[in-house]
Formats: sequence, structure tokens, C-alpha cells
Amino acid sequence: MSSVVEKEAASARALRAARLLSMIQTANTGGLLFVILLLIATISAIAPSFLSPFNLFALTRNLASDAIIGFAMMVVLALGQMNLALGAIGVCAVMVTGYTLEQLGLPIPVAVLAALATGGLLGMVNGLLIVGTGINAFVITLATASLFTGLMLIVTKATTFHNLPPEFSALGYSRVGPISGFLVVTLFVCGALFLLFNFSVLGRQILATGANIVAAGLSGVPVNRVIIVAHALSGVLAGVAGVLVTAHLAAALPSIGEDWLLPSFLAPLLGGTLLAGGYVSVSGALLGAILVSVLQNGLVLFNVNGFRIQFFLGLALLAAVGLDRWRTVLVQRAEKRLT
Amino acid sequence: MGALLEVRQVTKIYPGVRALNGVDLTLRAGEIHALVGANGAGKSSLVKMLTGVHGPDEGEMRLRGEIVRFSSPQESLAAGIAVVHQERNLIPRYSIAENMFLDRLPTRHGVVQHAKMREDARRWLDMLEVSFDPATPVQRLSVAHMQLVEIGRALSLNSNILLLDEPTASISESDVDRLFKVLRRLRDQGAAILFVSHKLEEVMALCDRVTVLRDGKNACNDRSLEGMKKVDIVTFMLGRENAVSDLGVRSQRLGERRLELKSVTTELGHRDIDLYVRAGEVVGLYGLVGAGRSELAKAVIGSHRVITGGEVLIDGKRTSIGGVLEALRKWRIGYVSEDRKGEGLILTHSVARNTAITIWHAIAGRVGLISGQREDSAIRPYVERLDVKVTSLAQTVGNLSGGNQQKVSVAKWLAADTRILIMDEPTAGVDVRTKGYLHQLVWELADSGVAVLLITSDLSEMIQLADRIYVMNDYRVVEELTNSREYDLMSSSIMNAIQIDNDRVSVPKPAVALA
Amino acid sequence: MTNLSKRLISQDWFPLLLVTLVGALLLAIISNSFLSAYNLFVMLRILSVTSLVALSQMLVIAIGQMNLAVGAIGGLIAILFGGMLEVYGAPIWLAAAVGLLLGLAAGVLSGALVAYTRISGFIITLALLFVFTGLNLGITLSIPFYKMPQALKDLYDSYLGPIPSILFIPVLAAGAVSGLLYYTRPGRHMLAMGGNPAAAELAGISLSRTTIFTHTLSGGLAALAGMVAVARLGTAEPTIGADWLLPSFAAPVIGGAVLEGGYVSVTGTMIAVVIIVLITNGLLLARTDPFYVQFFLGALILATVLFNRWRSSVNVASPETTSGRP
Repeated sequence: MSSVVEKEAASARALRAARLLSMIQTANTGGLLFVILLLIATISAIAPSFLSPFNLFALTRNLASDAIIGFAMMVVLALGQMNLALGAIGVCAVMVTGYTLEQLGLPIPVAVLAALATGGLLGMVNGLLIVGTGINAFVITLATASLFTGLMLIVTKATTFHNLPPEFSALGYSRVGPISGFLVVTLFVCGALFLLFNFSVLGRQILATGANIVAAGLSGVPVNRVIIVAHALSGVLAGVAGVLVTAHLAAALPSIGEDWLLPSFLAPLLGGTLLAGGYVSVSGALLGAILVSVLQNGLVLFNVNGFRIQFFLGLALLAAVGLDRWRTVLVQRAEKRLT
Repeated sequence: MGALLEVRQVTKIYPGVRALNGVDLTLRAGEIHALVGANGAGKSSLVKMLTGVHGPDEGEMRLRGEIVRFSSPQESLAAGIAVVHQERNLIPRYSIAENMFLDRLPTRHGVVQHAKMREDARRWLDMLEVSFDPATPVQRLSVAHMQLVEIGRALSLNSNILLLDEPTASISESDVDRLFKVLRRLRDQGAAILFVSHKLEEVMALCDRVTVLRDGKNACNDRSLEGMKKVDIVTFMLGRENAVSDLGVRSQRLGERRLELKSVTTELGHRDIDLYVRAGEVVGLYGLVGAGRSELAKAVIGSHRVITGGEVLIDGKRTSIGGVLEALRKWRIGYVSEDRKGEGLILTHSVARNTAITIWHAIAGRVGLISGQREDSAIRPYVERLDVKVTSLAQTVGNLSGGNQQKVSVAKWLAADTRILIMDEPTAGVDVRTKGYLHQLVWELADSGVAVLLITSDLSEMIQLADRIYVMNDYRVVEELTNSREYDLMSSSIMNAIQIDNDRVSVPKPAVALA
Repeated sequence: MTNLSKRLISQDWFPLLLVTLVGALLLAIISNSFLSAYNLFVMLRILSVTSLVALSQMLVIAIGQMNLAVGAIGGLIAILFGGMLEVYGAPIWLAAAVGLLLGLAAGVLSGALVAYTRISGFIITLALLFVFTGLNLGITLSIPFYKMPQALKDLYDSYLGPIPSILFIPVLAAGAVSGLLYYTRPGRHMLAMGGNPAAAELAGISLSRTTIFTHTLSGGLAALAGMVAVARLGTAEPTIGADWLLPSFAAPVIGGAVLEGGYVSVTGTMIAVVIIVLITNGLLLARTDPFYVQFFLGALILATVLFNRWRSSVNVASPETTSGRP
């Protein structure tokens, strides 16, 4: 069909396009990192207290749980779905923790396990409902969010557990140097998820299901099982976040989780995870969480109206997603010119 | 009479494929013109061009002598070209009437006149002698009736130029008769009608002239149908001298019956399906669009639990296949889907992931861990064997040419080392070279002991490859033929089998919603 | 059975109506004060805000999208409304008109961003949620505008006959939305887009224009809700709208709306709003734990959605739609 020369030119172009694409994908992570470092530099120049041990500790402690909340949503975004019941599952786990520690007086590992199991169980319920009824995950988790919160309130009668064993509350103060010890948990979770999505069968199956559920099913992927497991995992992660927050506050409050929903989308979306499913960026989600935390922290230090922070966060989200969209368009155009 | 709509030397190139290569088409007023061609011949590309979905890369289009170029379907519509597409384009919850007039909702002082729409719709439905209440929501109709609604819509545009793309694919015989009556009347009133169809009997019965496309070129252009026989058209379509690849003779080493269906019935309408495929055999399943072949294949692999009766035997033992997972892992049955973009591939993922998807569980280490390297090395042999043209296994499948995409969608089943492979239209929309490759592959698979069930609407492909051929029509198997590989004999036997079956059915074909 | 009652029963929202009536009956039995004039009017007033919020979201659901910024727009307009009244002493009608315009403008922004950037409406409205909330809190510094004119309070408390006049706003809005969706071209285009965007486009409907139009109306309704909330509370609180997100989806969904777009029910949504208010109010009166409210709300959403799905699967198997062969 085409001459040798044309073929050579074509494959050279193909190579260039592939390189461009991977550059842009790295650029996302790289870009985020750059922005974060820039932010940190700027903020600490203007408000040197940013780098103080006190501030770093507070920043990283909040970051730790916020990042995990973002991960919990990311796992379900991979499926192309949403988990609106994140906060509700979190608070149930919180209450289980409080109850186990305070009322039952059981050791901390048991309480943590119970909390994670609760999260996983509730997540599994979501997954089962979605698979069993075939109804949109948005609607299902919208309903279960109310259901789970209501159930929690009914059972606990909205009591607060604030007489938690001191060893547990002490965990809230754990530190590694100036940084909160919670970050260890976060990094562990981050590593585990990275492993999951890049090096495991289940991770690949989740992404395949999210990208094209019919094709995945016809290729032998057990899509129903995958959906249930992903939701269960999301629940477990919500539980982890709940435990961390409880330790942080040294109390199990029924109001925990109320404000988790929207931030839970922010980190993964900023980090490049696609709303449509089929692609996640674990490192991106972590960086996204860092960016948001740093931004928030910085604005507080500047005595900026604590509320303008919301404003800037919104702009940041728009900018990030807009940029991403623009990048996709560029890559598409480059690949079209190829053929 | 001068041409109303003319297409001259148009070329249309998609990534990797020349869909149209210097094609001509002439539509005159007062004429029903057939556009015929095998799958992938370029019919739908040409229709898309006429209706403004895509523009030509080369060549020109003339409307009433003036050069035109449509940049959107709305422009084509505004220019007076009414079209009924192959796929349905209706708003499910809207009524028949509203769907018909969606592009020109009648209003008075800003208020939509629903009653007037229903009245007007009634007129067109009456013309087609269809007795629906125009207020019926379209989603409650069967696919056949939906098609009639769209035909009614096209008619209601009162335009001079009417394009019908496979308009009788789903409708019953009596409806076909009525439609033809209407079309003839329109023709007599001076309309130019383009009738795209693979149903040659209908073409012979209705049309005045014919243009046949083959591999993106005119096999014949604007011929009068007077004195032509069906077999002449088929010759144009398939071009015997254009045998894609000469595979020679295959020494068949046939084993036991690996897959067998006995009196299988399904919820979808299949009845008394008897067929078997032996190890090392290539069995063809031929039928026209709507015969129920893909549906049968999907039923067999357990994609939908629709088998209601009869027996499915694997290696002689009665089995019940619970789902695709079981079909693949336990019975090693694979299914190459006819819809490679929607069902066969994950377009946003890499070649490696798409190919390895069927064997992830097998190549994983303990704890279900798998590395990109292991994945690559596991599937590279298959990618290379199929000669998939990629610069790296990480390339996104969506960016490959149609032929390469199809190779990937087959590669994953090779990787899965299936014992039974059902291939559904494996060379549709694929370039000639890849077609040859895949044909060779089918024989190699059979030679290595795989039981291959080949579903294709490409008669010459079927006769070239299959050892035995089952002919399906109307969700039933109507004939079983041993392939003598003599083209004329086999093609007429097959066509006759379908014809006889069609004639036999005196009850009008009911409509079917294809799964 | 008369023709009228037959038609009534076949309506999609009839089961909901039954639930409402039964629920109301139960509550009347359980609690003496349920049917008291005071309680009735408290409920009716809560209704007026929630119904506008529900209508706002329902419009966007009709085209198959979501508006996460419903509460944020409402809240922002609420404080701007209050601010105009308190700081500039503006007459109520003027402040209301400006507030409405600003709400429409917010909607235009939303719709334009979705239509032209092709970024999912979810993300756009999520981002705008932050932006508008931030603006809100930035302007008010979390301090409400307390000094609302007496005229506003009087308006809110007034009656037209036995009916609180404030109720006319949501009722008129519901009527207008209904009329729009069923009797005007833009409305029919909206539902067509939600039902099958590809087919709608082929029929010449501009998806971007429809998107912008819908979001604009949604913004306007949200703004109305915010201003009514100010009238109800007597102060312009920056927290107005903070808890609107869930009910904004719950009511249309319970009312039978299909999230993918193409079908919404104004009547169903309004009845759902009544149910939600009944639950909240009724359980309170019955002196049950207020915690049951959340639980029941979630259970109700699930039940309705399951029921609707069951009902539509039963509908499809009617003689005209045989998917099988004889």
C-alpha cells in the first residue's frame, strides 16, 4: 500500500504521539507536584509559621484522613460509579470504635478491626444493592447514606463517646519528627492501592469494569463480584478514615462524616482520576489531597477569610479539570494527525 | 431525466482504512435506486456522507446540479434529504406523533399543539396502513414498529429525496408490502429514493436501478435492473475473481463433537436449534441480518440466561453454562464479538490489558499479583503471531486501525487457549490484508484442534473457510450443508434454503427486539 | 370504576399520593396536634422552600445532568437579598428582582461552562458549589444579616383566605415548570435531550442551548428558594442552602424522575416534598426519635426506586412489545 518511506514516517509519528501522551500523563503528576512545591515555597515565604512543627503536625494530621477519604471515593470512581454514603459509613465506623473502646472496654486492635469490618460490611451492602437491583449507584448510595446515618442515630441515640481510653487518644498525637504519625497509615494505604491498581488482577478487573462493563463481562471478568468488592473496599477505607478522625478528636461524634462528601471528590479529580471510570491515579489522588490541604492551611495562616478558601478550592478544581480537558483535546488532535 | 442527487469520485479515509475509493452514485427523480454491497463495502460510509455526518475527503456531491457540502445532519435535512437510518433514533418516552415532528414541533402562540401532531401523525400512519394510536410512547413499540414510525417520519418531511438504510430489517412481510406500495407511489410522484439493503429479493422486486459497492469502489454503477438476475448482483457484490486469499485445501483432522446443541430453545425466539461442532472443524453459521445468529452465540456462552429448553453438550456431556466466566474458565469457550468497539474491546485501555484480560487470573502469582512485565511477556507471542502493528504494547487500542483492533480482539482468545471459539463477523470493516490474515488464522486454529463456529454474512468468506455450513433463518436452523467449496453451487444452495424457508412461513413475521 | 378514577390510578404518582394520605392519616391519629392550624401552617411553610429546591434540581435531572450547586446558589442569593434589604434599604420587590436575576446569571454561567467546556456537569457544578459558597461566606464573614424589614415578615405571615400566601410561589412555579415541560418547545427539547441526546441532536435540537437554558432556570428557582428561606427565617443566614443537596435529589427521585434524564414528574416531585416534610414533621410530633427521619428518608428512596423499576419491567411485557416470537 504505502512505500517504505511512508511507513517509516508513520511509525515515527506513532512513536512521537505515544511519547507525547505519556509525557502529558506524567505532566499531570509532575504539574501537581510543581504547584504544591511552589505553594509551599510561597506560603512559607509569606508566613514562616507554615513550616513550624506545630503547623506541620496539624496540617499532616488533617491531610492523613482527608487523603484516605479521597482514596475511598477513588476506588468507586474507578468503577465509573460514586459512593455518596462515604460519610455515613465513616460515622458508623466511628461509633463502632467508640462503643467498642468505651462500652465494651476491648483493646484498641479489636476496636479498629471492628470499625473496618463495619465499613466493609456496609460497603458490601451498597455493592449488593447495586448489583442486585441494577439501579444507578448514585441513587442507591444516596438512599443508603440516609439509611446508614439514620440507623446509626437510632442505635446510638446520638450519644458521643468521649471517654475513650487514653492510649487511643494518645495515638492522635503520635508523630514522626514534626509530622503526624497518621501519615504512616496514609502512605500504607496509598502503597496498597498503588499495588492494587497497578499490580493486581482485582485492580485490573475493576478498571476494566469501569471502562466498559459489557466488554469486561464478555471477556470473563466477574463484574458483579468486582463491583461488590470495590464498594466493600471503599467502605473499609471510609472506616479507616473514621478511626483516624476519632483518634484525632479523642471522641466519637455522630457529626463526623457530614462534610466528607465533597472533599472526597476533590482529591481524586484533581489528581486525574476520571469520573467516567476506567482510569485512576493513586499518586495523583495523594497529591491532590496534599494540594488541597496545603492550600487550605496556607489560606488560614494568611488570615484569609476562612471562607474564601472554599472559593479558591472551587476555582482550583475548575482550573485543574479544564487543564486536563485541554490536554486530552491536544492529545486527540495529535493522534488524529497521525492517521 | 437529470440527476437530483449525485456523488462523483468521492473518497473517504478512516484511520487505516479507505472506506470509499472514488465512488460514484446517481439518484434521479422518479426512480427507486438500490445501493447494495457486502458488509464493509462502504454503503454506510456513503450514506453518512449524503446525510451530513461526515464530509468526503475527495470528490464532490451535487444536489440538483449545484455542488453541496453538508457539515451536519441538520444541513442535509434542511436541504431536503430525508433519511431513515439503520439504527433507531427515537426519544423513548415521547409519543409516535412527537417523535415524528420533533424537528418541527407545531406551536400556536408558543404552546405546543399535541393534538395537531397526533392528527398529522395519524395521516402518515394511515398511509402506511399502520393502526397505532399516535399517542403511544415509542418505547412500548416493538423494534419493527419503531422502524415504521421512522419511515413515517421520513415520509412526513415530504421531501423529494428519501434515503432508506436497511428499512425492512425488522419489519414483517405484510408491512414490507405496504411500504413498497407507498414507495412506488412516491416514485411515481417524482421522488428520488435510495434503497440500501442486503435483501436482494426485495431489491429485485422494488427497485429500478442498482449501484453495487465492493471494497469501497463501484462494482457496478447505475445499472438498470431490467433483465438482471439476483445472481448477477451477487457476482458484483462478491466478485469471484477477488478471492481474498487462496488457502488451498485443508486436511481436516476431525475429533469428537466438542460443542453440540440439541433442540435448543431460547427466550429470544430460537426454536429447535440442532447443531454441532467437532474438534478441528470450522463450522459456519450463515444467515441474513436478523436471523438470530449472534443472539444464539451469546445464549450459548451464557451471556444472558435465556436458554429455555433443549440440551447443550460439551464433549458429549450435558452442561448448563451459568455465565461467561464459567464458559471461559471451565469450558474454555471464547466469543469474538461482532461489535468489537462496544463489546469486544476496551478502547481506552492498552493492547496489553485488552489481550491479557482473559488470562489475568492465570498469569497472576500468589495473592493475585501481576506485573506489567509478566503481562506483556505472556501476551506478546499472540500479538506477534497476529502481526498486530503496534509500536508498543502500551498503545491505546482505541487508536489502532480497525484491522489491528480486530486482531487484538481475537488475540485475547488465543491467549486464553480456548477449545471452542465462536467468531462473530470477524472480518467486518477490516481491510483486505487483515482479512486474509484472519482467514489463515481460522484454519490454523482448526488445525490445532479448536472447534470453530464461524458466524458471517460474507458468503464468499463462509464458502472459503467452513467445512460445514448451517443456514439460519428466523431464529431457526433451516439447513445443514457440507461445503463443497464450489462457489456457485454453495451460494445458490444457501440462498435457496433461506428462500424456501421464507416462502414456507405464511404467517407474517412478527417483530423481534434483538437483544 | 369511573373514567376519572381510572385515569387517576394509572398516574405514575398515584402510589405516592396514597402513601401521603395514609401517612397523614396515621399521624393525625397518633398525634393530636398534627392537624392543628399552627402545625399545618408550619408544614406548609417548610414546603415552600423545599419544593422550589426540588423543582430546581428536577429541571436539570430532566436533561440527564445534575446541579450540585443548588444550595450554594440559593445561599448566595439569600444573603445578597438580605444584604440589599438591610444595607441598602432596598424595597422588597427590587431586591427580589435583582436576586432572581443574579440566580439566573449563576445558572447561565453554570450551563455555559458545561456546554462549552464539555467537562461533566457534575464537576462544573461541584466546583461552582465551592465558588459560590466561598463567595457567600466571604461576603458575610459568617455573620447573618439580621435586620430584615418588617414588610418581609408580614408578607410571609400573610394569608390569602385560608392559605399562606407564600405558598403561591412554589405552586405557581410548579405550574409554570409543568407548563414549560409539556407545552412549550424548549421544554419538549429538554426532555428529548434527556431521553436520547443523539436522536435529539439529529432532530436539530441544540444540546448546548438546551443545557444553558435548563441551568439558567435551575439557578433562578434556587435563587427563589433562597429568598423565600430568608423570609421564613426572618434573617439572611449564610447557612441557608447548606443542607439542600440531599432533598434536592431525594424529592425528584422519589417523585419518579429518571436520573439518566428524559422523564420527570412535577406532581410526583411535589407529593414527594410533602412526604418528606410529613416525615420530618410527623415524627417530631409523634415524639419519636428525630433520628428515624434520616432512616425513613433513605428507606423511602430505596423503596420508591425499586418499586418504579419493578413497575416499568412489568409495563414492558404488554402485548405490543413482544420480544419473543410465537
